[in-house]
Amino acid sequence: MKPTTLLILLSASISAAFAQQEFTQRGFIESYNQFYPDTVPIDRSNIVSDELFREDMNFKLTPNLQINAAFDGRFDSHQQVERTASLDFWDRGLQRPAMSIRDLNLVYTKGRFTATLGKQFIRWGKSDILNPTDRFAPHDFLTLTDDYFLGVTAARFMYDTGKDSIDAIVQPWFTPSRTPLLNQRWTPLPPDTWSDLYANYGSAYPGRASFGVRWNHTGSAAEYSFNYYDGFDNLPLYNVLPAPSPDVFGLQRFFPELREMGGDLAVPMHWATIKGEIANFSSSDKRSDQYVLYVLQLQRQIKEWNLVGGYAGEVVYDSRSPFFFSPERGYARSFLGRAGWTIDPRSDLSVQGIVKQNGRGGLLEATYSHTFGQHWRATVGYVMVRGDENDFIGQYRHNSHEIVSLRYSF
Amino acid sequence: MNSVRAGRRVASPARQIKTVHCLLAAALMASPLLAQSAREIVQTSQDRTRANSEHYEGVLTVIDSHGKTTTKRWIYDRIGSFGNSKAILRFTDPPEVKGVALLIINHPDRASDQWMWRPAIERDTRVALQDRSTRFFGTGFSFEDLEERDVDQFDYALLNQESMDGAPCWKIVATPKQAKSSQYTRTFLWIRKDNYVLAMMQGWSKNRMTRSIHYTNIARVQDIWTARRLEVWDAERRSTTVLTLDKLQYNTPMREQDFTVEALRRLG
Repeated sequence: MKPTTLLILLSASISAAFAQQEFTQRGFIESYNQFYPDTVPIDRSNIVSDELFREDMNFKLTPNLQINAAFDGRFDSHQQVERTASLDFWDRGLQRPAMSIRDLNLVYTKGRFTATLGKQFIRWGKSDILNPTDRFAPHDFLTLTDDYFLGVTAARFMYDTGKDSIDAIVQPWFTPSRTPLLNQRWTPLPPDTWSDLYANYGSAYPGRASFGVRWNHTGSAAEYSFNYYDGFDNLPLYNVLPAPSPDVFGLQRFFPELREMGGDLAVPMHWATIKGEIANFSSSDKRSDQYVLYVLQLQRQIKEWNLVGGYAGEVVYDSRSPFFFSPERGYARSFLGRAGWTIDPRSDLSVQGIVKQNGRGGLLEATYSHTFGQHWRATVGYVMVRGDENDFIGQYRHNSHEIVSLRYSF
Repeated sequence: MNSVRAGRRVASPARQIKTVHCLLAAALMASPLLAQSAREIVQTSQDRTRANSEHYEGVLTVIDSHGKTTTKRWIYDRIGSFGNSKAILRFTDPPEVKGVALLIINHPDRASDQWMWRPAIERDTRVALQDRSTRFFGTGFSFEDLEERDVDQFDYALLNQESMDGAPCWKIVATPKQAKSSQYTRTFLWIRKDNYVLAMMQGWSKNRMTRSIHYTNIARVQDIWTARRLEVWDAERRSTTVLTLDKLQYNTPMREQDFTVEALRRLG
């Protein structure tokens, strides 16, 4: 879909919505800044500044029909954002688009049935920090420790009785996760062995749609779901191809087929809530690993403290790929937890940590945030990364950094 | 009874909150006759607030122990009969929390189920029973204060008669039948004799008063007596929250399908 088509659709929607006088919006402008004390061979920058404008709109055309739309405008100091002024919809670029449609979807409800068509956010799973069953949620991993989700263009059909829901999804257009840029610090490769040795052959995107179905039951004693996904891994593997020069090899990203079968569970007890999630990943692609990821956590609220802690495990029963980038697998075989403290109505403190069970890698992120008046929020924080260079987390040990951000919400 | 003079129905302010009060009652060693009377009063108070649905826009002013003031707004919609209803509460202001929503599914025989929707993470999270004493999003209300419970979930005893804001009230103590189902081990209720409106609630945890809610600005809205101003005192934090109910309407058309976890996401 061309941006102009989208704009026309958006304009028509806005006009129709205003005619019905049913319009809500929210948004913010944020300056998010990271200060890295250490430089790395591939990246000599100490400061990365990212500016974001976001506008989120909801148009209720009739009681049964609504349109959601959101727009992002970005600029940064570190070339993580494209410098072209075009409006992006598909989120397939290696860099973040300067202007993009974050989501744009039509929601139709009729009784217990809901259909959502268009670019949207779909979240599955119940655990915190790591969600193995969350298959329709590609990430932006340009800065690994600040990853966020990307929308997918899909048709979602849900039948919801209140206690049980069936969720069926068809995603005809693939959206990949955005992986760290090869010339920046979150790709931990020495420049002299890398940057001059490969030719970028782009990406080979899947030629068919992805499908998923999930049944969720909400009971008084427990909430659980089962899901099945047949599609593609949103994180790439790499094809090595011949290049024009013998000293150079060609590198092409591809997204292997992926089938996932899993479930999640939340059992609220008097003393804590038990949360679990498990997923089995298999693939017809001989270059893709087959494995199981699982998470088991306890969550407890103590006064103004919200505590979550547990373990994320991985069992690889068919190892086929020697090289891959997968944060969810990299964070597995770890103890993970989060503590959030609501200090008062205006300020809160959050600490999140992941420690590998073998002690070879660890990540700790602490942030303090304070609101001023009705619109402003300031956040300061520190992300500490430690470990061995052979560990997924430890390889980023030079990327500890401070965070200072300021957001104006409207 | 006085209530007959006052009108067919009596109002409870924010029903959900009032419910809490009604629900929480501590049983004393009173005679069966007195206990029955206390229960009847609470039952009548609840019955007189019956409506098929309720809608209001709430303005919350939170004043912390240092005197700093924060203002929030939410829209509240409820469908169904008291104690067996469904409600959605959605923040509209400040922009920082706009879109955050809470779904409350009340049950006649047990504590409610609650889910919170946070648009920033595009996910709903279930509020576990043991978390219900937590303050709701920086307000003086706890999650439990926002739910409704049927009168049968508590034992009641009539203590005496006291005046509240110049109006004669029955003072009733309620205790939950299931000890772990409430953060309050006992709740004192002041119910006005003239219109059966809840005038004051005090929640006690063991020997300590942890929260009180004072109901004022009582008016008849669509034949239901309703308190349109609630002042919550959080004794532990020494903070005050004032909730003012604007644009209050009963029996407006609402749809069951807008009160599900899926609807939280859809409308978020």
